[in-house]
Amino acid sequence: MKRDNNHLQHNPSSSLCGGSSAGKAKLWEEEAAQQDCGMDELLAVLGYKVKTSDMAEVAQKLEQLEEVMCIAQDDGISHLASETVHFNPSDLSTWLESMLSEFNPPSSFDPFGAAGTTAGVMGTLDDPFVGGPAESSTLTTLDIENNNRKHQKRGPHILDEASCSDYDLKAIPGKAIYSQDTQTQPQTHDSSSSSTHNNNVKSEKRLKSTSGSHSGIFSPPPPAAVSSGIPTDSVRPVVLVDSQENGIRLVHALMACAEAVQQNNLNLAEALVKQIGFLAISQAGAMRKVATYFAEALARRIYRLYTQNPLDHSLSDVLHMHFYEACPYLKFAHFTANQAILEAFEGKKRVHVIDFSMNQGMQWPALMQALALRAGGPPAFRLTGIGPPSHDNSDHLQEVGWKLAQLAEKIHVEFEYRGFVANSLADLDASMLDLRPSEVEAVAVNSVFELHKLLAWPGAIDKVFSVVKQMKPEIVTIVEQEANHNGLVFLDRFTEALHYYSTLFDSLEGSVSCQDKVMSEVYLGKQICNVVACEGADRVERHESLTQWRNRFGSAGFSPVHLGSNAFKQASMLLALFNGGEGYGVEENNGCLMLGWHNRPLITTSAWKPAIETTATSTITN
Amino acid sequence: MARSNEVNLNECKMVVPLNTWVLISNFKLAYNLLRRPDGTFNRHLAEFLDRKVPANANPVDGVFSFDVLIDRGTSLLSRIYRPATAEEPQLNVAGLEKPVTAEVVPVIIFFHGGSFAHSSANSAIYDTLCRRLVGLCKAVVVSVNYRRAPENRYPCAYDDGWTALKWVNSRPWLQSQKDSKVHIYLAGDSSGGNIVHHVALIAMESGIDVLGNILLNPMFGGQERTESEQRLDGKYFVTLRDRDWYWRAYLPEGEDRDHHACNPFGPNGRSLEGIKFPKSLVVVAGLDLIQDWQLAYVDGLKKAGQEVKLLYMEQATIGFYLLPNNNHFHTVMDEISKFVVSDC
Repeated sequence: MKRDNNHLQHNPSSSLCGGSSAGKAKLWEEEAAQQDCGMDELLAVLGYKVKTSDMAEVAQKLEQLEEVMCIAQDDGISHLASETVHFNPSDLSTWLESMLSEFNPPSSFDPFGAAGTTAGVMGTLDDPFVGGPAESSTLTTLDIENNNRKHQKRGPHILDEASCSDYDLKAIPGKAIYSQDTQTQPQTHDSSSSSTHNNNVKSEKRLKSTSGSHSGIFSPPPPAAVSSGIPTDSVRPVVLVDSQENGIRLVHALMACAEAVQQNNLNLAEALVKQIGFLAISQAGAMRKVATYFAEALARRIYRLYTQNPLDHSLSDVLHMHFYEACPYLKFAHFTANQAILEAFEGKKRVHVIDFSMNQGMQWPALMQALALRAGGPPAFRLTGIGPPSHDNSDHLQEVGWKLAQLAEKIHVEFEYRGFVANSLADLDASMLDLRPSEVEAVAVNSVFELHKLLAWPGAIDKVFSVVKQMKPEIVTIVEQEANHNGLVFLDRFTEALHYYSTLFDSLEGSVSCQDKVMSEVYLGKQICNVVACEGADRVERHESLTQWRNRFGSAGFSPVHLGSNAFKQASMLLALFNGGEGYGVEENNGCLMLGWHNRPLITTSAWKPAIETTATSTITN
Repeated sequence: MARSNEVNLNECKMVVPLNTWVLISNFKLAYNLLRRPDGTFNRHLAEFLDRKVPANANPVDGVFSFDVLIDRGTSLLSRIYRPATAEEPQLNVAGLEKPVTAEVVPVIIFFHGGSFAHSSANSAIYDTLCRRLVGLCKAVVVSVNYRRAPENRYPCAYDDGWTALKWVNSRPWLQSQKDSKVHIYLAGDSSGGNIVHHVALIAMESGIDVLGNILLNPMFGGQERTESEQRLDGKYFVTLRDRDWYWRAYLPEGEDRDHHACNPFGPNGRSLEGIKFPKSLVVVAGLDLIQDWQLAYVDGLKKAGQEVKLLYMEQATIGFYLLPNNNHFHTVMDEISKFVVSDC
């Protein structure tokens, strides 16, 4: 069958199989059958979700965009790169729409509207109250700078990346945050109707960029969105950072021991676990430490020393803090979650964050500072912190609340706090939280490395999902380990965990502070022990992958809220502070952000919102 | 001006399937945003927009992959692709570097394209292409995540390629049973094709044998404006202006396009006469504006008495090998599999 592309051009929906020989005829038939409902499979494999039936329309948008970009030339399009916030590039159709809308008012299409002018539709972006979507919603003092810049003429606008990273330093909290005097004062604007109006316009714009057939905030994701283009749930990313001979023998021994445990051959397992100890000594660096922790965990499993003494709270706090300092994972988690929360809270006068992972509250100073600096003035900020009971009867949740209250006072943010002690998140009921009507107070629910623990008890996660929906949150920010440590087969879990923690430990090697590093290793070692040695309700470190969490959230009636290129960029710049950023990388995955070490994703931040039936504040745009 | 653009767009759409047109046009427009007039590159946005896929130690369609940190100093990663065997359905980390078992196993070191500035080894388009090569050639494929311009100029990409080649050559588990040697082929598209040439040169001069070079739409150029450049400028996704930008970004500051990296057989190039050099398979797309340079490259090899096969795909545009929906794709894949034979 001779290839004839002209023929195909008149029939765009069957353009899938361009050139075909006889052998490809079958493909033609299959594709033809899928025409109206299916994704273009070839593009899906390459990371782009385009429905076959939309192909011609997408092509048209590309043509329009090219024309407009051609006319606008360099100066006119540089803002598309530097200021526009991009979302979910996989959804080509929506991405193109959002690009096109940068040149045109939302409601009308005028390809020549931007020609030679800097005013017109850019009005909303020039407005001092709005300051452009990319800049006003960042967590840095850059806000003020850029608001001023916006007042000037719009010209070739190339952001100076070096100065950005200087400003970011101020936003990164460390232990010092509690003693530091903040240097900046929040702007006080009259909360005018124009401010609100412009914020609404901006919100509408953002909705526009995320709405669409598969990524609408208000529509539940169809199952296809989860799996199309992505290989099945069991993707096992591995990066080998240590190719030394000893390293390989050590891994062999660990795997052999785990296999013996799997087969319940405990005598063999015991012998092997002793061997691992010897091999580990001869190994240097991260591999030795990882092997040691895994060996210990295996030994516990073999000798049935399942129960660990529950960690004293002050010790676990200390470990957590050191982990926070030693490497960027927690900072990334807080940073990206805060970014999403900040954007969700735009225009809201009263906000309420419910934190499932309160710990020492390290996530919140940065958010509070960003809220303090917000154009239009800070909202009233309420924080509900949830944590496990402490063993020494100290009310540590309250202490944390006190410190945050002091900070709030310094930065002039109206602050309210409540601490909740709960053994499990599943013990919570919405009625306990003193929720106020959503027209009055906007809610964000935040969970960093906590949700997976619920998978240890049947029904717990579903209970929590339903309670979260009752909170009617604007946004639910979730950070979880990007790994499947909850498989049914022990050996699989062991293998996954070995890959995962080897990579994580390797990334710690570059830590500046020895103490931070060692404490972090202990912190992670506890997780390793739990994954390998424990079972049943004791095994709480039940990490699951993004694909799995997407399924869970989707089934529970949540829709994704996408994180954009501004969060991506800021997170990337944050990483540069750690070891020059060498080795760390941020990746965008269908609206979620992943932090990885040498291309192996290790943690993922995702954001969600209850599906359409709960809110009706905006219309779905097409 | 709008008018002539219209003509261009329509011509372009006539020669490729619609989804290919969408794919490459999307790259084109996104890339326009990333290149700044002052020569800097919007790396953050580039990484955000690039569609990437993780390595997968679980076999998919008979191929599994894993990443290896080859050089910590430069954070040089490579992604290794191997055929899954029936006996090893579930591989653990110790099994990933299990020795190859066949008499002869070609190892293809692959350099992805992107004009020296774009893409990565874990870009979806290149992950897909490398997976194909595994089955096609019954080979192990090593895709090198070389450092990119403009942050890293010449000779970084070549250095990284050379580092990767030395690493591959010294892996006991990659040695073919027949002669306990690693059977190395180099392959690459666009800038990757350019890297293939230069790394092969370094290799042969250093005494490491490369069995064959595969150059897909290789990126070469020169100061002169050739006939094809003028005729095809802006017609099929690529403009001279963007080509110039990428060379300015890669070549040392102040150098022009007759630098030997860009123009290996030009005024600053060198003859390969009498030098041991691998046989080459060079694929040229008939609608690629730089084809005159690519054809000159083939000529240069021939004149030096080197073995080279030219595949001139008349109606092909850049990127035709990214989607298996056209005849050029199948023709080229066939030729590649014949080129990488399990002999010698």
